[in-house]
Amino acid sequence: MREALRMILVLSLICGLSGLTLAAVRQATGPRIEEQVLTYVQGPALNQIFANADNNPVLDRVAIDLDGEAVTVFPAMVDGQLAGVAIEAFGRGYGGDIGVMVGFATADGSITGIGITTLKETPGLGSRVVEPEFREQFGSRPGQDMALQSQGGDIAAIAGATLSSAATVAAVNEAIRMYSRIKDRFPKRWSDQDTP
Amino acid sequence: MNRLWKEFSKGLWKDLPPFKIVLGLCPVLAVTKTAYNGLGMGLAVIFVLTLSNLLVSLLRKAIPAKVRIACFIVVAASLVVCVELLMQAYAYPLYLQLGIFVPLIVVNCIILGRAEAFASKNPTHLAVADGLGMGIGFALSLTFLGSVREMFGYGTWFGMELAGDWYEPFAFMIEAPGAFVCLGLVLAGMNALTNWQRRTRGLEAIEGPIHDCKTCGLCATKPRI
Repeated sequence: MREALRMILVLSLICGLSGLTLAAVRQATGPRIEEQVLTYVQGPALNQIFANADNNPVLDRVAIDLDGEAVTVFPAMVDGQLAGVAIEAFGRGYGGDIGVMVGFATADGSITGIGITTLKETPGLGSRVVEPEFREQFGSRPGQDMALQSQGGDIAAIAGATLSSAATVAAVNEAIRMYSRIKDRFPKRWSDQDTP
Repeated sequence: MNRLWKEFSKGLWKDLPPFKIVLGLCPVLAVTKTAYNGLGMGLAVIFVLTLSNLLVSLLRKAIPAKVRIACFIVVAASLVVCVELLMQAYAYPLYLQLGIFVPLIVVNCIILGRAEAFASKNPTHLAVADGLGMGIGFALSLTFLGSVREMFGYGTWFGMELAGDWYEPFAFMIEAPGAFVCLGLVLAGMNALTNWQRRTRGLEAIEGPIHDCKTCGLCATKPRI
């Protein structure tokens, strides 16, 4: 009996201490990890969209509340003026969610370009949504809902990867909807002339 | 002092983890595509192995024999999660490269093997020396294998160009079969070297597998009560 109690006590103590340590380490590294993930996962997509931005869209990001959910908005400055913003949206692909970063020009709400952030599609088929030939179809067009050619729209799907193409289109449409609802709520400091 | 050095240095050559006692082969085969990946994995293992040996040795009198394996695993798993979080925070590209193999350090048999066979029976300073030695030996082995594969497979070393444009990379070396072939060649080389050393000392060459109690410790795993 005493031996059993001792086993329970020692094991519980060790587990409890390890839980405390892990919680502390997690808390300490949390903000830095978030920044690293944004830099290495979202950063490359943002660079594709806003090649000429003067600022770091990841560092200047803000979260805007939309129906109780935080939408992260990445701003791009050109000559100290807010030129565009990017929003990440997800579409249901073949191998999981496809993350699409959609850039909007703040002047007229048109789409400046898209970049793929997370992708688990079949290599050689669905994974081809990252190719410029497909992505560039979304650039420089008005911010209105779009569809694949088979659905009566004008986006050419990738042969053999209709599902992945449709997921990308769905994510872009989702981003357009989010943009239209939050575009009046961007923080003032972005439009200041003297933004660092 | 002598004993301390003996425990430290055995991991560097005599009981070199992947090449001599052939333990922990999963990361050895999987993450040695480049020297940088091998070194990163090796450093993570040094950290986990040294600290787990330290903690297990400190707690060895408090841990009841029947739940010792569970305790060792909790200690190793906590350390591995720490490494994972720190790697995400400070070396994210390396974390993306190593992927699933960082959490898998928990089940790396070197960690549990050293805890069970050495740290739980020896004083703290010897356990730390043993963990450091084994860890450094493991890291050096991974870096070596990674260097060989990277040099042949990419024509680079730690990302530096070694060969000119004329070099046609030997892509086989960075695929999974290349890892097995490389490891096999290194093991064959180690055996040849050992036998050559024995012959120069006038001893008989070793043929076939050796059953060496020192590095196995399985016979010691029966409960101590």
